[in-house]
Amino acid sequence: MLLSLAPVQAVGRGALRSVAAVGRAGYMGMEAARALRKVGFWAPHLLGQMRRIGVESVPIALFIATFTGIVLALQASYTFTGAVPLYFVGTLVGKTMIMELGPVLTGLALSGRVGANIAAELGTMRVTEQIDALETLAYDPVAYLVVPRILAGAVMFPMVIILANAVGVLAGWGTALSLLDMSSPEFLRGLRLYFDPWDVQFSIIKSVTFGITVTAVGCFFGFHTRGGAYGVGKATTRTVVVSSMIILVLDAFWAAVLL
Amino acid sequence: MSIELVDLHKGFGGDDILRGFSLTIPEGQTTSVIGGSGSGKSVMLKHIVGLLRPDVGDVWVDGENVARLDQESVYRVRRKVGYVFQFAALFDSMTIAENVGLGLKRMEGYTSAKIADRVRECLDRVNLSGFESRLPAELSGGQRKRAGLARAIATEPKYILYDEPTTGLDPVTTAVIDELIMRMADELGVTGVVVTHDMNSAFRVSDRVAMLYDGRVRFEGTPDEIRASEDPIVRGFIEGRPELMESVL
Amino acid sequence: MNQGKEILVGLVIIAAVLVAVVGTLWLQGTNFGRPSTTVEALLESVGQLSEGNPVTFRGVRIGHVSAIEVEAGDGGVRVTLLLDGEVSLPADAGLVLGPESLFGDWQAEVVSRARFPRFPFYEVPPNEPTTPRVVGGYALPELSRLTASAEQISLNLAELTARLELAFNQETTDNLSRAIANIEAITQEVRTLVQQQSELAGAITANADTALAEVEGAAQAARRSFERMEDFMGDAQMDSILTNIRIASAGLRTVTEELAAEDGLGATLDRADSAFVRIDRIAARLENGEGSIRRLLTDSAFAVRAESVLEQLSLLLLDVRENPRRYVRLSIF
Repeated sequence: MLLSLAPVQAVGRGALRSVAAVGRAGYMGMEAARALRKVGFWAPHLLGQMRRIGVESVPIALFIATFTGIVLALQASYTFTGAVPLYFVGTLVGKTMIMELGPVLTGLALSGRVGANIAAELGTMRVTEQIDALETLAYDPVAYLVVPRILAGAVMFPMVIILANAVGVLAGWGTALSLLDMSSPEFLRGLRLYFDPWDVQFSIIKSVTFGITVTAVGCFFGFHTRGGAYGVGKATTRTVVVSSMIILVLDAFWAAVLL
Repeated sequence: MSIELVDLHKGFGGDDILRGFSLTIPEGQTTSVIGGSGSGKSVMLKHIVGLLRPDVGDVWVDGENVARLDQESVYRVRRKVGYVFQFAALFDSMTIAENVGLGLKRMEGYTSAKIADRVRECLDRVNLSGFESRLPAELSGGQRKRAGLARAIATEPKYILYDEPTTGLDPVTTAVIDELIMRMADELGVTGVVVTHDMNSAFRVSDRVAMLYDGRVRFEGTPDEIRASEDPIVRGFIEGRPELMESVL
Repeated sequence: MNQGKEILVGLVIIAAVLVAVVGTLWLQGTNFGRPSTTVEALLESVGQLSEGNPVTFRGVRIGHVSAIEVEAGDGGVRVTLLLDGEVSLPADAGLVLGPESLFGDWQAEVVSRARFPRFPFYEVPPNEPTTPRVVGGYALPELSRLTASAEQISLNLAELTARLELAFNQETTDNLSRAIANIEAITQEVRTLVQQQSELAGAITANADTALAEVEGAAQAARRSFERMEDFMGDAQMDSILTNIRIASAGLRTVTEELAAEDGLGATLDRADSAFVRIDRIAARLENGEGSIRRLLTDSAFAVRAESVLEQLSLLLLDVRENPRRYVRLSIF
């Protein structure tokens, strides 16, 4: 044969694998939707997952939000020298924090904290046959392991992100007062000038989808882990990469659809 | 009523592991399935509880074809089967008592007091009394296997499947486990399926032995019959002489 | 253990919901726990007023517009105001709607009707109930419409100015005089409106005064720079004409000399030809150019134009400063 067909084969194999992965993800989504009915399986674990996924993520989310707020205020004032009045610092901090950086930065950070955690936990359970063991004890592993995590993500991500938004704006405000020679009325004027309650709703809608994404991707890769510790590591990495990518794509998607 | 595997075929990504595997497991006896590592013994075992579905073939458990059942019916069949995993597969976030009692929570008529009683009884049976509140990580390998066995028998299953019960254990612990397997059969009357490549263990605990080779059953009979077998593959395996097996190829 | 978990999760959820609800209301400018009262107003039309716009009284913000509804039949428009309960309004209260600043968002101002006898307040029918109180209102004519056309005209003028530097022809002149006519009309309208509104106390007059002062300053600056431009343009044109004439006469002189030398008649004739062509061209240019230049220099409308452009620009600038929201559409990411 004159021409090697290896590249063509590689394309074909890649395409098949992607389609198979999408199929598996879709199947798992369906399974999860079906498992929602089995309240008895997931309800007892929902609270614990809400604490692990939500409450324990609050410190890191607030930490990120604080510094984001400070940086936003400082950079806004740097950009606005001269032509634009300084009270726009308030506008920029508020809008950016609530609509974009609050949800996205928290989402990305939690894809590492929550998504990786879920993938590693479920991945280890998979390779040590704990998930099989659940099945032999007549437990539906999707209802028992996946559903409470996704539900907890969907409920708790918005909560964490709302708190992060508020703390980010407060940090920006504090920076404006202490470092930028602005007064509170000035900052508030800017903050309120363009404020729209829809911004908050937009932020919440985004966070719900981010929460579902991070937990579902973690569950997916954890559930399909193969090959011991190496496989668990791979599942964890993939979870962070894939959920980060989906978060950014979703971010653009919501901006295009809802704004 | 019994377990019957008929003409099972199963492959993973192009590798055919089972190629027409058929075996009948008689009620009330312990059957060992021996074979080399990677020969598909565990794969076969997972078909019995529907953890894997065959590409071709049927898996009959008490007259129901597990290979064709819907998910809910599979759960019903699983309640009749206890599964002892190779590395115990205990849930490491739960105590031993919670592990053993987990299956009972899904059974009707079990209050938490009744579950506690049953857990104590099962742990007693595997000589792990007093380990209720320990975590799996605090147990040795042999103890964990015994805890896994306790979890499998807690729901009073009709069948118990053992996946490499003695692999990686010292001779004394192996003897303890073998003893337990025999006691389960004698005292509880359960039908056992033991997957192992430990020949001594297989001969000690089983009423019947089947050898899995090349995706099929190469030999089936009592321990005495297999010892008397002239088949070079069987002889090579049980005597640990690969040259005999190679001479056939 | 479980109880602790429940408390923690509950705390985070309650905190988040509180932050979201209270934060949203606070950023929207809701007053908590202050007594409020509702007042309704009937008007012929509401101009640019929209829900949420501020309500002022003697220059102080006392509430906001909570609803605007068209009445059935010929009833006009009913505007509902949510006001601070502690403010007592005059007995002959009326509502004047107008821009918050010279070109900005609108506001509703509660006034004593006795102070504005010339405003045609809406007559409240006698059968209206007494609670909530219903007052008559009047919406001032819109200024924002003028802003839009002024902006358009200043764009046109910018283009004309650019063209003026390339070619000053009949079309340009026509466009220019049309634009000037428009601007004069607009300026007149603005002045009338500003005068009409200067009767209202408060921010509008102050803004208008500032704006007019700035316009005057700008106009003087324009006239000064225009005078300089006049000198410059005249010099440049005349210079180039004189240069061309000098070249042409030099060419003629050469022709005469060469004819006298009787040296190759054909080539000499050619050269003479080209020199005459050049003279023709210069004559034509002089004629057209002089015409344009004269018109440019003597037409007083040009001065008016410069003045108007600057005036429009300074008004727009002022408006931008006061109401950035109208011009800057802020969207990040």
